[in-house]
Amino acid sequence: MTGSPTSHRAYFEDVKIGESVETPALTVTEAHISLYHGLTDDRGNPSSGVPDLLPLCLSTGLGWRLNRAPLAVLAFMSVDWHIERPLQAGDTIRSRARAVAKRSLREGGVLIEEHEIVNQHGEAVQHGRFTFLIAKRPPSSS
Amino acid sequence: MAANSRRFFDEIAVGEEYESPGRTVTETDIVIFAGLSGDYNVLHTDAEFMKGSIFGERIAHGLLGMAMQSGLLSRAMHPYAILASAGIRWKFKGPIKIGDTIRVRARVAAKRETSKPDRGLITLERKVLNQRDEVVQEGETDLLVECRP
Repeated sequence: MTGSPTSHRAYFEDVKIGESVETPALTVTEAHISLYHGLTDDRGNPSSGVPDLLPLCLSTGLGWRLNRAPLAVLAFMSVDWHIERPLQAGDTIRSRARAVAKRSLREGGVLIEEHEIVNQHGEAVQHGRFTFLIAKRPPSSS
Repeated sequence: MAANSRRFFDEIAVGEEYESPGRTVTETDIVIFAGLSGDYNVLHTDAEFMKGSIFGERIAHGLLGMAMQSGLLSRAMHPYAILASAGIRWKFKGPIKIGDTIRVRARVAAKRETSKPDRGLITLERKVLNQRDEVVQEGETDLLVECRP
């Protein structure tokens, strides 16, 4: 993996259990919904303006706007997700995440994070747990 | 059954099965999803870096596969009278690579009455398969469905 920007990535060893982060906010627009419909053909639940999976998709990108080195994710393993209330176009969401458990394996380590998406009123609209496989720091980079 | 008819909780039976048509996942799908979601992880966007990874090439976002199967399944069944989605339990079992063709198989795993008489909870078990019939994603979704008025 020579030439890869390893120094700009956070590794399994860097994850601190209990540390929580909150992302910047994003207003969900008709344009997001149209792009999502066109790409996925997922019309979601017609009574809710925003398809249920769209906020989840957008929240993964919000995490990239945090001013910190992105985690060296080897694989997204699972998600356990609860949908508490619908969103409409014009609502503004942000995401909160907290590392709750990690387990070292020979190749990388498993990380469990709790995620919560909140709207402009501070209400949790969706929440749950993500499980990732994270790379360990390569011996060459420190 | 009319194309726009919605099926009520009472009309859905445990054990019903659905299988969707296939869809070939393209590089374009992945690029658009990265742009829409803002998830530019190297797993999905850096072809050179991914040559040295366990996958050997870029892979689709797990959530792109999840969203696509939702769209695919809606083409394989008459819509339920859904009030809301309540929960998702989902495992990403293997990579979806550029050029792979996925489809979804689903089965009504459970029906449960709720505290409100006008709605019930349907649990759908889903498997996303690739062109080699390997399960790349699987899980369960809980849907709140209206009872017949």
